[in-house]
Amino acid sequence: MRRLRCLLGIAAFCSLGTAAFAQDTGERLNALENAVKSQAKTIEEQQKTIDELKEQINKQQAPQEQQAVQEPQPKGEDESLSAKVSGFFGGSVLSNPNISLVLDTFYQQSNLKSGELQNRGIPGFTTHGLDMHNGFNLREAEFFLFAPVDPYFNLYANLPIDDSGIHIEEAYAVTTSLPEGLQMKGGRFKSNFSRLDAQHPHAWDFFDIALPYRAFLGDEGLGGEDGVQLTWLPALPVYITFGGEVLQGDNDLMFGSDARSGPHAFTLFAKSSFEPTDNSTLYFGPSLLFGRTKNTNIVPDTEFTGHSALYGLEAVWKWKPSSQEGLTLQSEYLFLTQNGGLTGGDSLERRQDGFYLQGIYQLGRWRFGARYDMLELFADTFKRNGTQEDQGETPWRLTGAVELNLSEFTRIRLQYNHDRSGRDGRNNDQGILQFLFGIGAHAAHTF
Amino acid sequence: MRKTFLALFTLLMAASPAFAGLNVVATLPWIGSVAKEIGKDKITVTTLVKPNQDPHMVEAKPSMILAGRKADILMYNGLDLEIGYLPLILESAKNPRIVPGKPGNFDCSRFVKVMGKHTAVDRSMGDVHPLGDPHYHFAPSNIIRVAEGMSNALADLDRANADFYRDNFKSFAAKWTEREKQWKKANLKGKKFIAYHKLFDYLAAEFGFRIVGYVESKPGIPPSAAHVEELIESMKASRPDGILTTSFYGRKESEAISAKTGVKVIVLPADVGAMKGTEDWFSFIDKILELLR
Repeated sequence: MRRLRCLLGIAAFCSLGTAAFAQDTGERLNALENAVKSQAKTIEEQQKTIDELKEQINKQQAPQEQQAVQEPQPKGEDESLSAKVSGFFGGSVLSNPNISLVLDTFYQQSNLKSGELQNRGIPGFTTHGLDMHNGFNLREAEFFLFAPVDPYFNLYANLPIDDSGIHIEEAYAVTTSLPEGLQMKGGRFKSNFSRLDAQHPHAWDFFDIALPYRAFLGDEGLGGEDGVQLTWLPALPVYITFGGEVLQGDNDLMFGSDARSGPHAFTLFAKSSFEPTDNSTLYFGPSLLFGRTKNTNIVPDTEFTGHSALYGLEAVWKWKPSSQEGLTLQSEYLFLTQNGGLTGGDSLERRQDGFYLQGIYQLGRWRFGARYDMLELFADTFKRNGTQEDQGETPWRLTGAVELNLSEFTRIRLQYNHDRSGRDGRNNDQGILQFLFGIGAHAAHTF
Repeated sequence: MRKTFLALFTLLMAASPAFAGLNVVATLPWIGSVAKEIGKDKITVTTLVKPNQDPHMVEAKPSMILAGRKADILMYNGLDLEIGYLPLILESAKNPRIVPGKPGNFDCSRFVKVMGKHTAVDRSMGDVHPLGDPHYHFAPSNIIRVAEGMSNALADLDRANADFYRDNFKSFAAKWTEREKQWKKANLKGKKFIAYHKLFDYLAAEFGFRIVGYVESKPGIPPSAAHVEELIESMKASRPDGILTTSFYGRKESEAISAKTGVKVIVLPADVGAMKGTEDWFSFIDKILELLR
């Protein structure tokens, strides 16, 4: 009620006021009109000037815009050069190469005693046992260094450290500027013979290398060999590379450093690949490794001297519909021929083979793997002085593994091996829990 | 035997296209798309990564190495986005034309105003990019500069057609100016979004919206339950306009959070071609702004 009265009061006051100034209204309106008119005129004029200016600016801007776009180029480059303290591989500039360290450590438990594992070779193939014991083990800490040397070479060095010290597993230079798809590699390197040979232990899909490799080459494959490699990738519609290597032949199972004074191991290989569908890739190729052999690791307490050749076939099929899911099937077949003599005058002739088949299924950060290895699939010739020697049952192994990759730099793997490669009727049932950690420069994901 | 081999070899050689233009290899679809606008029919573009592939997790396939072998110029995103596969391709391709330092090695990020450079960084922080945020293809102001860089690089390699490339850049710039007027009309200022991955920061900066939280607890590290709880709580208070994600990851997590908060999930194309109607880089930006509106 009070509010209403108040409003009425205000209204009354207002009307009173209007009445009082009513006389002047006409004059005032006229004056105002004039003022507005003159202002409008000014505004119009100003607008004209503004429009003209705008046009001029636009005219100027057009070339300027182009300049502005052209200009940032050197500016942008300088800026990022100072900001980007990095070579192509990332990391810091010229003063330091890219460095990474991979720690490979595991816990292992077998039904066999540690001593039995270490003496458990594969009769008819190798006298080397398994280099591990029950309980905690440190396989190695692997230093990896790489950087461009100059416009002509890249250099890589791979220096594992284990209980016996630091080793030069690999140290090699690769050419970067040869024409026609040619490339040379020289120094000490892992051979590209077959598939698993060039992989480092921490990059394997399982804790251990496939049985045929262990049987013919050793538990890290051929390993780092001194020599040179030439590869060629012709510019064809399909992917085919050809390669060959001349190696010193230091591997103490397939060759032997004293087999000849000079290089005495050679490889030839070809690899091809195509993509049957958008999401899948097939990769395959034959390999050959041959040379002179002289070592005491094939037959216990006896030295073998002779010639060896190992033929390999590899095939990989990868299905990768997304980064979250994938399936890889991989298989290799190796066939060995070896002829020569043993200390004491006996002759030895071997024709033996081996294969493995493995599958890895990846789902998110998990990977599930299964593998079956077998030796003496089609060939089991082991003739001493022309007489076949029975080495025992056919060696085989079955493996299952589960991996959790917490990030690109941590891998935890639980693996189970049912190993019947000892040929003595005994199982080696192994459980392995492996931890792999990587720090430093980012390594590439190889196919 | 030798005859068969020779016949096969000649067949293979003959099958390779006798094309005179430049062979451009682009790592990512957007790079291929912009290159095509500049090079038109004077270049052949091979793109290595598929539109819906996570660009962080690419493996160097033999087909990519073969493409690198035949390339006259390699165009890549840079800022270490391709660190997992490109060094390997570069070495295995055995092609001296595309190695760093050669005119055939084109790092698009050289022309970009880089955001999110880290001075102190280690991997406990997740998959951070120390050289800066590499996902700058969402920012039109950067792409116009990259496009010009490309036109100059192509002109250097193929002098005979230098004017052709520069003219194509001019029409690209004109198209860009015209589209930019449209893009600027997308009124996103003041909007707030949650992002699954740290992918859209350039987009936010360019169009004036804010990313107020991430579903991943750290870049490249899947979210923990505790982090998701926390995020849901904060979202109830901040009421963001959407959860941004892409087709290749984070759909499930984002939808779960959406169900609990009522904030809608917006699936954006991560790159050119990742969705219908994103056939080139222009329509890719069009589509994003249409989805955000």
